Amino acid sequence: MNLWRAFVTLVMLSFRRLLWSASTLMVAFPLLGCALFLLRRRYTFGYEGAAFGDEQIAFGHFSEELVLLLFVSFIMPICALAYATTSIGGDREDRTLLFLLVRPIPRWLVVLAKLIATLPLVVGLVVGSFWIYCRLAGPVGRMAFDLYLPAVFYMTVAYVSLFHLFAVSFRHSTIIALVYSLFMEILIGSMPGIVKRVTVSFFGKSMIFEMGADHGLQPPNPQWFVPMTTRGAGMALVAISIAGVLLTLWIFSRREYRDLT
Amino acid sequence: MLLSFDHVTKLYGPVVGVNDMSCRIGPGITGLLGANGAGKSTMMKLASGQLRVTSGSVTLGEHDAWSSAAKRCFGFSPDINSFYEEMTGREFVYAMTRLYGYTAREARERSEQALVDVGMIDRADRHIAGCSHGMRQRIKLAQALVNDPPILLLDEPMNGIDPGGRRDIGELLIAQASKGKTILVSSHILVEVEHLADSILMIARGRIVASGTLSDVRNLIDDQPFTVQLVVEPSRRMASLLLAFDEVNSVEVRGDTLTVRTRKPAQFFARVGELVMRDAIVVHKMVSLDTGADAVFGYLEQGAP
Repeated sequence: MNLWRAFVTLVMLSFRRLLWSASTLMVAFPLLGCALFLLRRRYTFGYEGAAFGDEQIAFGHFSEELVLLLFVSFIMPICALAYATTSIGGDREDRTLLFLLVRPIPRWLVVLAKLIATLPLVVGLVVGSFWIYCRLAGPVGRMAFDLYLPAVFYMTVAYVSLFHLFAVSFRHSTIIALVYSLFMEILIGSMPGIVKRVTVSFFGKSMIFEMGADHGLQPPNPQWFVPMTTRGAGMALVAISIAGVLLTLWIFSRREYRDLT
Repeated sequence: MLLSFDHVTKLYGPVVGVNDMSCRIGPGITGLLGANGAGKSTMMKLASGQLRVTSGSVTLGEHDAWSSAAKRCFGFSPDINSFYEEMTGREFVYAMTRLYGYTAREARERSEQALVDVGMIDRADRHIAGCSHGMRQRIKLAQALVNDPPILLLDEPMNGIDPGGRRDIGELLIAQASKGKTILVSSHILVEVEHLADSILMIARGRIVASGTLSDVRNLIDDQPFTVQLVVEPSRRMASLLLAFDEVNSVEVRGDTLTVRTRKPAQFFARVGELVMRDAIVVHKMVSLDTGADAVFGYLEQGAP
């Protein structure tokens, strides 16, 4: 019996089950909807510089409408929560988690396997769809992809980590993550002052505003939203990700799941 | 390998799941009996490392039940009906076998053997979603056997299985026990384990109320009424003679049939022998009505603290 082999088996098993789960169908609709919106926006009004008379204005519109409003605030958290909460929460709700907990794999390694299975799937989906949207948007999109990719990547990892923490902590983690994403992130993220720094999106948006500043991108209300530096925001997202993973491992390795039988 | 509970208490908030329970379960088949809510599932969950004790300790051999090392020592068939429904029985058992860290080839051999053992090999390619309850029980049992563990923890393994299947699984468990394995089988249908188990543990309200063989347990109940039916001639005379004895609680007469309730069966049977010899009473038939596990359990549960 080999622990490494058992771990790899669990990663592969979890990845396969996630890929063919209802979550894939669930995220397909918003991803497709976003693509249709983008196509309509491009061919009706155009993200080309000529349509606005200025490429900087077009870049600003694309960044505000697609990147900040649709992608970062909605598409990305939906993709992350669809898989991250299902990865361990689905097993918990279906009560199949029991079959994993009675195998000779340390508990922290069980949840780490789930996390490792989820991460490439979500990062691949988010970065891949972002790449497609940017290509669909034309030259401004291509420029935006190069600038915003680090922010998108760090935010995605932070969300995956955070939603795994939700999944090991709460029974109905998908609903809690959904409420968190759609209300807490937006509500608190829109508040003035430093309270918004408890949200993941603040740091991601800070990176985006900083990276887009040279191309004329500014927060809609600079008095309310004072972005951090790219470096500082990136470090904060990395810290959130690491803390989320460590807390997830710690909670899962100690916690009893009495609802499994 | 020994499965030991040493002064184990498990609290669910203010609710007591198991209360200061101590026992050692060794090789052979041990039936774990108790009504719903008695603490059977808590005991199974503690033994399989799903729950941690509030106080005391649960060990499998040398290992604490919560540790991952202990999980190499047992196979667990849970009392749930949840699976990876999209898989076939074969895929599920194979996947569970791989999670022990076996190579693909070894896992394939072990999972196939387990499917043969539980009588599912010919139906293993059916999707679990389309399997009957009995087939699902067999799949659960198969995944518990794949690592050839020294301890088997089986939570209601006969539930939903037809009589033929019960016989097959009974034979399988007896064969496993003959290899020196420790097998703990929980059930609330007492007759299931009555004929299977070498010893029984009866629990009620989180405590062990009796342990040993079924007859040992029955002998523990000297203050509980024991019912015997006699077909005798003359019945009325016999009834009046019996009522004179202190150990007889009541006698009910219906034609030649007497239904006698006694608190001291051993003395009662001795008295009957004396009467037959002394008063020329003819006994056509004498049968005890409640030697089954149900009656024993009923008595014990009433007496539980």
